[in-house]
This record gives sequence, C-alpha cells and structure tokens, in this order.
Amino acid sequence: MYHILRNSNIMLIDSMNLLRLIILVFIWITPVYGNSIYNLIKIPNLEIYEINTENRLKYLYAKSSFRLGVQKNIICESSNKNDLDNKYNLIYKNLNRYSYNFLKKINLKYIVLCENLSISGINTAGIPDNIMKTLILDIKFNEKYFERVIHHEVFHIINDQYKDLFDEDRWIKFNNKNFDYAKCSTCSDRLGLSAFKKTKGFFTEYSQSTASEDMAETYSHIMTLSPEKIKVIKEKDFILKRKIEFIKFRILKIDKDFMFPGNMKMSMSLLIK
Amino acid sequence: MIKKIKASNSEKAILYFLILLAVITLSTFVILKNKCLFVKNYNPKDMNFKNSNNIVILNASCGNVIIELYPEISPNSVKRFKMLISSDAYENIAFHRVIENKIVQAGDLEFGRKGSLDYGKIGTGKSGLGTIKSEIDNHFDYTKGSVGLARTFKNDTEDSQFFIILQDEPLFEGEYTPVGKVLYGLEVLEKIKYQRQSEYILRPDFINSFKMLK
Repeated sequence: MYHILRNSNIMLIDSMNLLRLIILVFIWITPVYGNSIYNLIKIPNLEIYEINTENRLKYLYAKSSFRLGVQKNIICESSNKNDLDNKYNLIYKNLNRYSYNFLKKINLKYIVLCENLSISGINTAGIPDNIMKTLILDIKFNEKYFERVIHHEVFHIINDQYKDLFDEDRWIKFNNKNFDYAKCSTCSDRLGLSAFKKTKGFFTEYSQSTASEDMAETYSHIMTLSPEKIKVIKEKDFILKRKIEFIKFRILKIDKDFMFPGNMKMSMSLLIK
Repeated sequence: MIKKIKASNSEKAILYFLILLAVITLSTFVILKNKCLFVKNYNPKDMNFKNSNNIVILNASCGNVIIELYPEISPNSVKRFKMLISSDAYENIAFHRVIENKIVQAGDLEFGRKGSLDYGKIGTGKSGLGTIKSEIDNHFDYTKGSVGLARTFKNDTEDSQFFIILQDEPLFEGEYTPVGKVLYGLEVLEKIKYQRQSEYILRPDFINSFKMLK
C-alpha cells in the first residue's frame, strides 16, 4: 500500500515538474507585448474609446470579455459598438459635471465601459476602484436608473478615498433607533432602486441595505434631482434633510468649488424632475 | 617527374565562385553582427538649438540621443534630472527595462550600475536624494520620443529613473511626469538591447555618458 502511495506521489511530483517545465518553456518562447492600458490599470482586453475630454477622464471599452480579482470572480463582457455609442453621451454628460481637480482629489481617471458586469455571479451596475483610479460601468444596466447609478458609483470612489470623512457611526444615528442596516449590500433583499414616494429617511429600498449604500443613494439623488425637489424632500423628511446636509458638507470639504445642482450653470435637461 | 595539370575553365569558375561565396558570407556575418551599422550618429556640435541650456546628450552603444528638456512643464523634475545629469550620475547605468519598439527605461543608480548590477533588485533602486512630487497637471502629449520620470505604483515617488517611449502613449498623459522629448537619435534607442521574452534585460546595454550640452 505504502509503495503504491509512494509511486503515485513520485508520479505526481514528476507530472508537476513536467507541467512546470512546459510553463517555463511557454514563458521563454512567448514574446513580451507591452500593453499600456493593462500596465496602468491591470484590466486586460481594453481599448481606448475617448481620451480627449474636458476633465481628462479616459474612457476605455472592453474589446473582449475580461475577468478580474484574485478568484477571477469579477466578469464583464465586451461592449457592443451600438450600445457603446448610445450610452457614451449619457455617461459623458454626467461625468463631465466633475471637474479635473475634483476627480484628481478622489482619484478617478479611467472609466471602463463593458456589458453584463457581475461579481461572483451577482449582476452589478459598477465597480469602483480608487486605488486603480478606475470605475467599471455596465452600459447595459437598467436604463431607468442608469444616470443615478453613475453618480452612485462615483460616490463609492469618493467614500473609499475619504473614509474618515464619511463616518458611518454618525450616519447610522440619523435613522430611527429601531432601524438596522443589513450586514452587507448583497446579504440583503433590499435591492429596489425605485425612488420611494414616501421617503421616511431613505430614498430607495437599496438605501436600507448598508450605511455606505445609503450614502451613495443619497448622493446620487442630490446629483440627479432638481434643487426644488430636494428642497421639498428636506422640508418633508427631517432624516433625509440631515443626510443630505451631511453629504453636501463633506463633499464641499473635499472640494469647496464642487458644483451641486442649483449652484451650477447646467442644462435643466440633466435633472430628473 | 611531376606532371603539371592545368585547371580547366569550369574548375576555375567553381574555385572563383567558392572564393566569392566565402567573402560574401564573411562580410554578411560582420555586417549583421554590427547592429549600429545603419544608425546615424548625431553630433550636437554641428547643430544649433534654440534652448541650448535645456539640451542634454545621452550617449548609448549606437551613438547620441539629443533630448530637449521642458522646465516650463515640470520645473522640479527637470531640475532633479539636470542635477543628476550634471553630476554624471547616469554614466554606466543600465537600460534595465526595454520593450521592443515601445519603451526603454534606465536610471537605477543603486542597482543598475555596470560592474555591480543586481538583477534581483534592479528597477527598485534609489538615488539617495529622496523622491520628488509628480508634476502631471500640465498638458503634455506623450508622443514617440517623449521622456518621462518613472515612479512606483504611487504618485510623488519619482526619483532618478526615467523612460523614453518609442511609440505614442496617449494614456501616459496625466499619469507620468514628463521631462522632455528626443529631438534626434530615436534610432539609437531602437537599437538598445531587448529580450522578446522579458521586459527586464539580462546583460543589458548601458548609458555611456549623459551630459548637458552647456
């Protein structure tokens, strides 16, 4: 029995060595192709879509699908040319509201456009990564909420870059005492993105998932609703009033020149009434 | 008595052909061996420059590379670069990272020096002068021949390492601190030793000298 095991171990070691040798030979004969995009943001299969933008955001698209992460659990598919052309103007219009200085402060530079983005099989609208200065956006995400989602994901970049500024313990205290967030955004069934008619401290069902998602939802509503609408919400809902002021105050702390809707010269077509 | 045998015409023709073949083979071998044969070597003394204070000459194995520095775009970085060049710090420093027709990188003063190359650490060495802040806010087109300062994964970690790009790299704008552009001698850089299988070079080429024009 021992010999059989020993022999099988030797065979296993030999096959491992053979595999190593094959990999090494493959590396030796494989030429190096410097891929600038991959070297910069560590996402394969990307091409430039548009890089000459006012605020110097660089838009990239997936030429073919890619997988990311240690366990390769982040998957996104290649972007269809028509989808890309259709969505680009909308994405550009929304992201162009952020100045170069603000983007530099929050560490956002690359926007990756792809389709059917998912993490561990769960579909998601975007994946922010302030370390790599990258925001991956699923251009096929629900049309109805797409603009709001863009700002929602931008907030995650802001939050990740300025963790200390957005104190979750303080935020939680804004809510009613009997309310509890879920432990994580995906371990909750509070996923609805439709805006509540009666807000009661939250803009959407998804706001109720975690504190950081609530902040992102609050921020995205501030960025997409008209100032008049925000004013009405603040008058009717004291919790949301405090949440809105919390977010606005901290964003202005990051960049005193930040333009919220209402104090910016912007087309009213940008605002959802 | 030894009888002299005269070579026939066809035998003579074969002999001449063999001699000619040997000469061609040998000369081809010599020509192919010399990678610098068709590379033009620019002599800065024969040239006129508008901003001669900002002209630097890098001498590599195939000749001179003439670079113009842009202090108006990256003042602190160019100041550091000029200081290192003036002190001959780059002499005998390896082109340790080279990708064919893409990029050449050099300037590791700690682990890239001829005679004391450290292959395990090359690319991580420092100048001893400390790091400087990235200067990436001014617009700069990273076209072929642009010279920039290398850095670690983080900004504000530029030191002595620099790179020269051998193709346009528009995404480098706002990412890496530019210091100048090659005016003449890109073909010298294209001849720097590279390896198809690795960005990091075994037995690399070295900078012979790197000097200010004035």
